[in-house]
Amino acid sequence: MSVYAVNYLCREVLRDHAFRAAMKADPAAALAKCDLTDEERQALLAGDVAKLYRLGVNAFLMGYLPRFEVCGLTMPIYNERIRSAADVEGGH
Amino acid sequence: MAEIVGALGVPHTPFFPSLVEREGPQCETARLFASVTKELEAMRPDLIVMYDTDHLNTFFLDNLPVFAVGVTDAFKGPNDEPRSVPVYTIKSRPDVAAHLRRVCIEAGFDLALTQEFTVDHSVVVPLHFMTPAMNIPVIPIFVSGHIPPLPPARRCYELGVAVKRAIESFPDKLRIVVIGSGSFSLEVFGPRIAPGKSDGVPDPEWARRVCALIGQGWTQTLINEATQEQMLRAGNVGGELLDWIAMLGAVGDHRPRFVTPQMEQGHAYAAWHWT
Repeated sequence: MSVYAVNYLCREVLRDHAFRAAMKADPAAALAKCDLTDEERQALLAGDVAKLYRLGVNAFLMGYLPRFEVCGLTMPIYNERIRSAADVEGGH
Repeated sequence: MAEIVGALGVPHTPFFPSLVEREGPQCETARLFASVTKELEAMRPDLIVMYDTDHLNTFFLDNLPVFAVGVTDAFKGPNDEPRSVPVYTIKSRPDVAAHLRRVCIEAGFDLALTQEFTVDHSVVVPLHFMTPAMNIPVIPIFVSGHIPPLPPARRCYELGVAVKRAIESFPDKLRIVVIGSGSFSLEVFGPRIAPGKSDGVPDPEWARRVCALIGQGWTQTLINEATQEQMLRAGNVGGELLDWIAMLGAVGDHRPRFVTPQMEQGHAYAAWHWT
């Protein structure tokens, strides 16, 4: 159920402005309290949204990461990376 | 008795308010929203019932109803910060909403109850264009069109029919307009977005087909063709078509006054007005 934790924290980037600021300032510290697998934590910190998508993270929740420019993501970077997961079956 | 006097189908693209603010009232999107607003005003509604698919902002994966109705005096939104949209307080009619829920449950449609909620751009963007004074109460009915498994199209249509019957059994004299909010083919932040954009239209052929079927009134054909596989092939928000299909449950055999596609966006604007 850890993918749930990734989905949840993506929405917290939208909802919780203090968490958003913490994610912009020091993502590793901000994620320290989140219950993530090592794989998820590394993918988040690397801004590897294609990997997260393959793990089952929801796309429009991940969209909050480039929108608020956390984890090194901007829209052009996000666009390029997420499109590399086009082989994954749709629906999440 | 309450009656449904017409219906509208609209998109809810979150960047449309900032686009219209930038480009002015003569741009295509502003004119298309003006066309449905004119119809809405001509129908003089006392109340709007809106079918909507939330983007995990009203509900979340901890508790995700397939169908739900808001029963409250008022609700606020948007809760997801689309540009150029203020946070509105939108009045509702808890008496009518509770009646709809009771009658639909009696008819076999398990409408979840939500009494304290906010809504995202999918409810507010159409209202921002059509009723910016927020002087018409709105009852939102939420349809889970984003997170598979999606409810079958026929089930959504039948829900729309049940809601129509429930409205017609409400004792007060009310003029009600039903709105379906959503796209036919659209990918948002998923792998099939267009290069350089945050969205894309993966299946324009399907969007064209949906527009043609709605325009001709071939609702049963649309329901047969709107399989989960087809809707998801049309994009990760392709299931928003279910909001239109539920709305069509109130339309019956009436023909639309217009169905205007905005094909590069994978959606359309449509109006029915029969009284």
